[in-house]
Amino acid sequence: MTGEPVPETATAGRLQQAVAAAIVLVAACWIAFVSFDVEDPQPYLFPQLFSGVMVVLALIVVVRALRGVDRTVAGIGGRTFRNIAPGLAVMLFYVFGLAEWLGFYSAAFLAMLVLYSLYDPSPHRSVRSWAVRLAVTAGFIAVIYAVFAQGLKVHTPDGALF
Amino acid sequence: MEFLDHFGAVFTWSSMLILCAGTVGGLLLGATPGLSPTMAVALLIPFTFHMDPAQGLMLLGAAYTSTVAGGAVSAILLNIPGAPANIATALDGNMMARMGAGARALQICFISSAIGGVIGILVLIFLTPVLAAWALKFGPSHLFWVAILGVTIIATLDSKSVVKGLLAGCIGLWIAMIGADTIQGVERFIFTEELEGGINIIAALIGLFAIPQVIEMLEGGRSDPRRSVFEVRRANVWRSALETVSKLKALAIGGIVGTVIGLIPGAGGQIAGLVAYDQSRRFSKVREKYGTGESEGVVAAESANNAMVGPSLVPLLTLSVPGSPTAAVLLGGLLIHGIFPGPDLFQQHAAVAYAFINSMLIGQILMLVFGLAIAGVSAMVIRVKPPILASAILVLAVFGSYSVQHSMADVAIMLALGVGMYFLAQYGFSPAPLVLGIILGPIAEYNYVQGRILGEAQDGIAAYFLTGWLNLLLIGLVALSLGFSLYTEIRARTDTGEAAA
Repeated sequence: MTGEPVPETATAGRLQQAVAAAIVLVAACWIAFVSFDVEDPQPYLFPQLFSGVMVVLALIVVVRALRGVDRTVAGIGGRTFRNIAPGLAVMLFYVFGLAEWLGFYSAAFLAMLVLYSLYDPSPHRSVRSWAVRLAVTAGFIAVIYAVFAQGLKVHTPDGALF
Repeated sequence: MEFLDHFGAVFTWSSMLILCAGTVGGLLLGATPGLSPTMAVALLIPFTFHMDPAQGLMLLGAAYTSTVAGGAVSAILLNIPGAPANIATALDGNMMARMGAGARALQICFISSAIGGVIGILVLIFLTPVLAAWALKFGPSHLFWVAILGVTIIATLDSKSVVKGLLAGCIGLWIAMIGADTIQGVERFIFTEELEGGINIIAALIGLFAIPQVIEMLEGGRSDPRRSVFEVRRANVWRSALETVSKLKALAIGGIVGTVIGLIPGAGGQIAGLVAYDQSRRFSKVREKYGTGESEGVVAAESANNAMVGPSLVPLLTLSVPGSPTAAVLLGGLLIHGIFPGPDLFQQHAAVAYAFINSMLIGQILMLVFGLAIAGVSAMVIRVKPPILASAILVLAVFGSYSVQHSMADVAIMLALGVGMYFLAQYGFSPAPLVLGIILGPIAEYNYVQGRILGEAQDGIAAYFLTGWLNLLLIGLVALSLGFSLYTEIRARTDTGEAAA
């Protein structure tokens, strides 16, 4: 993760655009295949209608990507990806691992503190920075607890902690 | 004048408290750069579950109105529009702030927003029941085409590429088909047991609108986006009010342009503000001062973008076609309360519908009062660091999507859709048509299947869907919206090509 600001992104390369478009095309073809390859067509009448349109549109997007027609697409640069990757990892670990295992509120506290600290421009070695981070995170989670647990009576998974 | 009978539901302590909370929350959320009105309303939907439908909708309506006005704070003080609707506001509002008139600009902005908003809500009050009565004559084929029109219009107007907009709409239609079909209950497109109940619409809305914005806030890494925020000094409210009212021509242009554009499904406040600003400059005696800190520009832009809010709900409440992405999220809010907007809304849920509309009228006045009172506080909100916002929105999105059905599957779906949408957005896909596809998919499917059954019993399926003046009118509108957008896109591409050459 770099500390430099990301400059305005340029147009994504043809290959990057084509790969993204191809993924959408494959998904469209799969939806069309599932919609038409059925014994009882009744539940699939509407999916058949739009999946055909979807394949045609996805094909147009692929052709336009290969020809480099679309100049409004920014794509994802290497630096942008490196910057967002730690954040994405925290989000995925929080939702798919931590939340149920540790408990909803503890996991939320940890995820918020880690995400905030990872991207906070304040120096990591400063005690004051950490005090602010801890106070902001604890304060926000306390508000969330008051609203959801006390106010809305939402019962969340307890996990190892709470 | 049936709406007058339903004001009682608004003037209760609990309703007024909810309206005040929605207004203050909306103003602060709108003032925060990076939080769009659409995302703010989506994040608020889970809080409405425990309220009765009318009060839940009051909260969402108040938040919708005030986030649009609150977006002007960052437009004026930071030159970063809080929402696309506030782009035109920044042109003169920020110049006023640079000249030390930030407080006056904010006061003029909130006063003109309230005046424009009242005009728009009055149009909503008087036009909606008339259109709803007319729409009662719609049959399945018409409702099918209306749903297609809704997806098409948002797809063409909210995307840089018509083809990608339509493709996003189709992806939304497919997501809506996951789970049991509405006619026979047959399960479709299920590849994991978590999807057996289908995709929860609120989890989808939160994921599609909130998570991409969280990831966008992380794009800069640990860089410190130092923003030059202009100080808000005290200014006389009455003098600002007199100044606003004296710009009668700009107010009238803003009100009319906002109302007309709001009625066009998909057009949205961004266009309203810019068109009103341009028209006001054209007819102004001080047109050369526009762009240099002329308050008339702020009046025109802000009255227009709030005048758009009420009329943008007319097609939503009468035909289930949202007039803007935020209206699409409101549609989700209506559906989770078991209220299906459409021709018979004012027959089956008249009390809820009128209470909601009336509350938006009162909401304009509250927005003015609170806007003027907390202008200074909202200026502090815009200093919040992006990492704090990003992590707080993530936590709120997780709790919000979980609280819908107390299901971790909803949280997983929310995150998966959100991350997927972020990557799709980098390649020119927009979340609004996708969301509309999810919301209108079941409506389109139900009416398509019903129409086929009716068509087979009459003159054939093709004749049922493709003949009759109303069918032809709706098909014509679909074709017109597609044709116009394609023409605009091709022309823009040609211009870009010529400029590059």
